[in-house]
Amino acid sequence: MLEVKNLVFAYPGQEAPWNFQFSVEPGQCIAIHGASGSGKSTLMNLLAGFLKPQSGDILWQDKSLRSHSPWQRPMTSVFQEHNLFEHLSVEVNIGLGIHPGLKLTPKNQLAIEGGLQSVGLDGFGKRLPGDLSGGQRQRVALLRAILRQQPVMLLDEPLTGLDTDTRDTLRHLLLEQKTRGSLIVLASHDEEDRRILADSVCIL
Amino acid sequence: MLIRALTLLLLTSAAVPANALKASTLTIYTHPSFAAEWGSGPAVKKAFEQTCNCQINYVVLDSGGDILQRLRLEGESTQADLVLGLDTGTMETTRQTGLLANHETDLSAVKLPIDWQDPVFVPYDWGYFAFVYDTEQLPEPPASLAALIAAPDDLKIIIQDPRTSTPGLGLLLWMRHVYGDQAPEKWQELKGKILTTTKSWSDGYFSLFMNGEAPMILSYSTSPAYHMAVDKTDRYQAAEFKEGHYLQVEVAALVQSSDKKELGRAFLDFMLTTDFQRHIPLKNVMYPATDLGDELPAVFNKLIQPSKALYFDPKAVTDHRREWLNEWLDAMTR
Amino acid sequence: MSYQRRSQRCSQQHSLQHSAPFSRPGWQLWPGLAIASALIVLAMAGLGALVLEASLPDLSELWRNRYLRTVVTFTIWQAFLSVVLSLLVAVPIARILARQPVFPGRAVLLRLMELSLVLPSIVAVSGLVSVYGRQGWFTGLANDWLGASWDLYGINGIVLAHVFFNAPLAARILLQAIESAPASQRRVAAQLGLGRWWYWRAVEWPAVKPVMPGLAALVFTLCFTSFAIVMTLGGGPAATTIEVAIYQSLRFEFDAGQAALLAMVQLAICGFLWWLAARNGLTASLLPDRRVASHRSKAGSSVWARLGDSAALGLFVLFLVMPLVAILLRGLPGMGSAFFPEGTFSVNPALLDATLRSLAIALPAGLMSVSAALLILASGTTVSRPAITRLTDVAAYLPLMVPPLVLGTGLFLLFRPSLGNSSEGLVLVTLINAMMALPFVLQMLKGPMGSLDSASCQQADQLGVLGWYRWRWLHWPRMRRPLALAMAYGTGLSLGDFGVIALFGSPGQPTLPVLLYQQLGSYRIDAAAATGLWLVLLLLMLFSLFNWLGTPLFRAGLATNSSRTVPEPEHA
Repeated sequence: MLEVKNLVFAYPGQEAPWNFQFSVEPGQCIAIHGASGSGKSTLMNLLAGFLKPQSGDILWQDKSLRSHSPWQRPMTSVFQEHNLFEHLSVEVNIGLGIHPGLKLTPKNQLAIEGGLQSVGLDGFGKRLPGDLSGGQRQRVALLRAILRQQPVMLLDEPLTGLDTDTRDTLRHLLLEQKTRGSLIVLASHDEEDRRILADSVCIL
Repeated sequence: MLIRALTLLLLTSAAVPANALKASTLTIYTHPSFAAEWGSGPAVKKAFEQTCNCQINYVVLDSGGDILQRLRLEGESTQADLVLGLDTGTMETTRQTGLLANHETDLSAVKLPIDWQDPVFVPYDWGYFAFVYDTEQLPEPPASLAALIAAPDDLKIIIQDPRTSTPGLGLLLWMRHVYGDQAPEKWQELKGKILTTTKSWSDGYFSLFMNGEAPMILSYSTSPAYHMAVDKTDRYQAAEFKEGHYLQVEVAALVQSSDKKELGRAFLDFMLTTDFQRHIPLKNVMYPATDLGDELPAVFNKLIQPSKALYFDPKAVTDHRREWLNEWLDAMTR
Repeated sequence: MSYQRRSQRCSQQHSLQHSAPFSRPGWQLWPGLAIASALIVLAMAGLGALVLEASLPDLSELWRNRYLRTVVTFTIWQAFLSVVLSLLVAVPIARILARQPVFPGRAVLLRLMELSLVLPSIVAVSGLVSVYGRQGWFTGLANDWLGASWDLYGINGIVLAHVFFNAPLAARILLQAIESAPASQRRVAAQLGLGRWWYWRAVEWPAVKPVMPGLAALVFTLCFTSFAIVMTLGGGPAATTIEVAIYQSLRFEFDAGQAALLAMVQLAICGFLWWLAARNGLTASLLPDRRVASHRSKAGSSVWARLGDSAALGLFVLFLVMPLVAILLRGLPGMGSAFFPEGTFSVNPALLDATLRSLAIALPAGLMSVSAALLILASGTTVSRPAITRLTDVAAYLPLMVPPLVLGTGLFLLFRPSLGNSSEGLVLVTLINAMMALPFVLQMLKGPMGSLDSASCQQADQLGVLGWYRWRWLHWPRMRRPLALAMAYGTGLSLGDFGVIALFGSPGQPTLPVLLYQQLGSYRIDAAAATGLWLVLLLLMLFSLFNWLGTPLFRAGLATNSSRTVPEPEHA
């Protein structure tokens, strides 16, 4: 279970600090809902460990994550854009998600190929992100997130700006992940996303 | 990488005592023009190594001043056995470091325009400072220092800075000798003609004089000998000044802390023999310290023979140099 | 929305376990810090030695002594003029080069620009004098046709020479900065049809701004500590820089006290400048460098624009090339005896020896300086306290500010090498050359190293791409070009160096610059000119070689920065 307890954070110069509090079970998805500037991305960054809270704690299975660095946390983040390393190919981008030194076993390689096929990007392995469309890039990013097999997925507006078909495909993928036990924290403007994916909503 | 380099450095430092230097190696600190491949150094080395059962090792430093500097820094632990390439300008200061020993060489063979009785320094060559001019640009050079100073300002000359260069200092002393306390005023009159004061003779000669920037450059009276003998041209000549020319003598000395004093003294003796001196005129482009008689190259007869050799005692130079330099600076920056 | 996120210093988060090699934060921090500290110790040792030797004169000496006052004011003034003019030349040239990414001879021009800084000053000055001196080509033109009265000797000569040396380097660094402006921004500018002024404001200036303080400080320091140029072209002792005064104090006067005082003044002024520059430090770029086609902006494509650019560029090329041509012409006569001593082609053994020896010192020196710079940059990004980062930065620039004589004395006292042993001396010379090249190399690598955008940083943090992996996968592919250039500079500076090796003496076996001075001292002017020319050609070959090494071959999956345009795929 992921528990966020009285997580307090304020940017310098911000008068009223945010205080986040919620909990989620594995296999569930919580949607974070709020207007622009209400703190959705901030919350994502805090969960991932990119920002340090002023007080409060994040508990994963009753263990505090506060002192853990981003790569020690059981999270994977997907942003709205700029998820990929622009100068590395699609394969390498995904591969680095599996092992940060790109030491991949044949099984890993197969998983990557299979994954690319399943998102409709068969044969795109050697391409550069710059050569792909926005939808294709998000598919790669999500694929990496899935292949990482971390329990928690932090999704910050991942489907915004994509065409309907891609969005359907990706929502499908995410639902699949939920059934496999992934915990999803989703920040999204979109009603549809929330309706299809979320089990609970957190309003900021 | 850096760690490896530092380790290498430390290791090599540690390896010094175990270094395979032959027991009878004579280490001589000298400057580039002597030790250069076509300079006097290699020939002298060959000649000396034939007579003794030893090896000469030249350590080349930038200039005479550098030799002094290195000696002072190293102090008693210096590896040098001899220093060769100091001149009358730096002699006294080097003597005052107390790091040199008496040479005990017989100086009777020495033939200089002045009387030389110094117990520590043995001269190996000498020359006069003079202005060398381009006969093509300046067919009629000034015949005296006074004429040069009085010449119109469009006659440009290149001199060296007395603070960084031997000839530069030479000119300073020259003016002092001729004009005494009036020197600063004379410098002010000369100022308009000075194109620039370069750091060293090489800088001025190469970058400026040979580009034709100015027809006259401060140099040595023996410089034209090289051009005549090797380049086969009479184009560059030295201007002879009525008042006389300032003398420069280059010297060598034995280092007190050397453990090869016998060998060192043998070298100093060798320095005053013909076998050494014959390599001086055209390789070092200076006058030999002894009388070479017929072995002196013919072109040397075509050089100017100043009527007077001007010379300050080295001790006087050391005592007053700072004061004279400051006056010069003052005059030049007014 | 994510690109509005505030840019953060991209630092690696610490962790308890580490699977990436060298990801322990210590590895990032300590080597660089150690090097920086060593440099500080060295400089202090040198200064300390001087101070110990004699008592320091009163600081008020500076005011009372008219000579010292003149020296300090002159030094600052000529350096200031030189910087301003160099940048005034460099910025437009960099912009033009960025605007016109393809034209015949561009590569050669870039190599020549890189070359101007590393030319041995005596060779370059001789070239400049040939062109601008009293008998120079330019002077004749200017005086006869333009009615001006141009005199090289004086402050204008000094500034001219400084601009010749530094403006091309500045332009090169600025070009590198402009070219690394995010391509997406360039595309937007192209689409909007921004004119030159707005293109500058929107795209070029933000790209150039982070680099400017460091660049200005670098050029200022170079001009501030200028020696041979000032003396040869200054026209007289009124043109004395602090460096010259220190040299004079130590060499002839043995007035260690005055030397130490002046050295400290120099250090104070330059150090203060660097501190200021480091405060406006680099911020990581906000956007990743998308490899998309960068269309020629409106600013660069009209016929008038191209004509104007060609004219300006042409003038610059003339300015750069004429002295080089002069060097070529002077050196050619002597090349005969250098390369054809007996009629058949064989290299004069002295020249060959000297070349090999020079390379044997220069290549390791280049490697060492690049490695040290990378380590220092790495430690800079680790520490959260900016004061320490600034300290390491300033320490890296110490070799520029401290007179070589002082530095050399410090080194000598610390290591006491035996001059008779050749290998030892050479190792030390390599070390010092690496140190002296460090500031330039650092300046060159700083920009590219820090330009990993924050989004990529965060992703890398989360994926655990740390330490060695981060270097291998994220930094290295983008650093190849800058590293090649930095390596070329590190090696080139050492190759053309005369001062350092002269400080430590050589056991009678010269490197190329020493050979040059030996030839000069023995009246072998033609041979010296040929050696000078050979040195220049060698440098040119070196820069070309490193440039070629730095250009990546096409590799799928690991393409790097290239100025080749990529065909635009369907829009996102």
